[in-house]
Amino acid sequence: MSVTTVNSSAAATRPTLIFEDLAAGMRMSQVWRAFAWDEMQNRYRRSVLGLLWIAAAYFIFVVGVGFFFTGFSSATTSFFITYVALGYATFQFLMGNVTDGCQVFTSSASWIKSAALPYSIYVYKSVFRSLLTFGLQFAMALAIILYLGWRPTWHAVLAIPALGLFILDAVAIQYLFGLVAARFRDVIHLVGAITRLLIFVTPIIWVREEQGGMRGLIADVNPLTHFVEIFRHPLMGAEPRQLSWAVALALSAVIWLVAAAAAARMKRRLPFWV
Amino acid sequence: MATVQGGDQMTHSTRAAQKEADESAAPFLADGAGEPVPAVSAEQTGGPSIAVRNVSLVFPLYERALPAAPTREDDDDHAGPPPAEDERILLSPDGGIIGVRAVHDVSFDIGKGERVALIGKNGAGKTTLLQILAGILTPDEGEVRTCGRTTNLIRINLGMRGEASGHRNITLLGLAAGHAREEIEAKREQIAAFSELGRFLDMPVETYSAGMRMRLNFAIATAFEPEILILDEWLSAGDAAFRKKATERMQEFVGTANILIFASHSRRMLLDNCTRGIWLERGRIRADGDIEDLLDAYEAESGASRSSA
Repeated sequence: MSVTTVNSSAAATRPTLIFEDLAAGMRMSQVWRAFAWDEMQNRYRRSVLGLLWIAAAYFIFVVGVGFFFTGFSSATTSFFITYVALGYATFQFLMGNVTDGCQVFTSSASWIKSAALPYSIYVYKSVFRSLLTFGLQFAMALAIILYLGWRPTWHAVLAIPALGLFILDAVAIQYLFGLVAARFRDVIHLVGAITRLLIFVTPIIWVREEQGGMRGLIADVNPLTHFVEIFRHPLMGAEPRQLSWAVALALSAVIWLVAAAAAARMKRRLPFWV
Repeated sequence: MATVQGGDQMTHSTRAAQKEADESAAPFLADGAGEPVPAVSAEQTGGPSIAVRNVSLVFPLYERALPAAPTREDDDDHAGPPPAEDERILLSPDGGIIGVRAVHDVSFDIGKGERVALIGKNGAGKTTLLQILAGILTPDEGEVRTCGRTTNLIRINLGMRGEASGHRNITLLGLAAGHAREEIEAKREQIAAFSELGRFLDMPVETYSAGMRMRLNFAIATAFEPEILILDEWLSAGDAAFRKKATERMQEFVGTANILIFASHSRRMLLDNCTRGIWLERGRIRADGDIEDLLDAYEAESGASRSSA
């Protein structure tokens, strides 16, 4: 019945702290699911389309960019729009976790300062919300590309492990950026500036295979390219490059290690920063 | 029941004697040498318990304090930080404020059924100590071992979703406290009745007055029968009817083996609800003992007729 808890500096700086916190938060899934759902509804309250705005905004971007930029590509219009639709939804999810991550703790400041809940609850809430957004966008993507004649091949199965990796990384990314951006308030502005650039230097609205030289090199150096491709390639009937999976896995390991180190070092101070 | 801390640090000790005792005490010894703290372990007594051992916390300020005044630099020849007017304020070598020593080497035990009041002037460290006990803040040194489900009402305006209705907040706070949905539904009527909010529970909490929020928060916090309840002084801000009701609810609550920790400036509420007092001064325990004796000594010193409310 009774629970014993120890509140000490030693307990709050263990290297395994992030995993203990993540496990404790996972046991309270009802809380973060309720929080996420409330936030989603609140954001679109009193608008006619409500949550459908997520899908509508996505549709406007994909169709607009698809028709305008298809002239710059040698690919067919239906291929290009499919390429944009899948790439953009993936990009939105990946970068959305970085930008949401910057505010994951600061936006929950009132709870962090008043309740002794595992901090991972706020991370799960935010990841869950971005998954809901991704789900709506992906459903819209499927509707668009099915209309354009897209049919899945057996390669599509390979997108599932990629999505699994994205979700796993989303937790570490949001935890890490949440801590760092709470302490250093400049980070959120830096992330915003870089995100605006990344949408252009990642092959989303241009096809990497058509670009050699400098642009091809930039695409390969940009790790986001590899993350996008391990998901988009299988859905477009191709196997992703082994290089892409290697880069994605290596970077994921680095993200998790840095997040664990940051949690052990910074988590104890979070209530003072938010 | 009441324990007295640190030998000569008793209620009627003079300031000078207390300071001497503080300086001679080794602050961060884990085994608490020179600190005769009775070791009552939670497992031995069975009921809820709290063991606080040598807890210290510096409240960091980061970039929020103004840089040091330029005159300070004159007497600073890098021999160390310039002398501070208040020994609780920590200065960096260049004279900037880096933090405030909010709680300093505090140790005590609370056993089952104890109702403990925290008293002390504004800024004595009461709220910070409550936040450490509640697990919201982590101490820099020492540890708090808590046995029992803990609910806190420290920052009354926080921890609610303003845009959500009162009913929705009952659900969210119930879930956050680790209760199942059926359990929350079973308590909903009782919470609604205690809060006397009626149809207001269907409105967003951000439209509530401070008093309405307080009633709802208190009703939720006590409905789920926590084993340890931590309350900050805001409770004294309620109107007379609410204070009477809250006192009744708290007496019901502590009738069992539960623990109440309550910070307040209101003599009436403290005497009604608490049996033991801990007097905090500048982040340290000045005295620990029977609530009435402690309040008499505290008020004699601070000349506080204002605190009889």
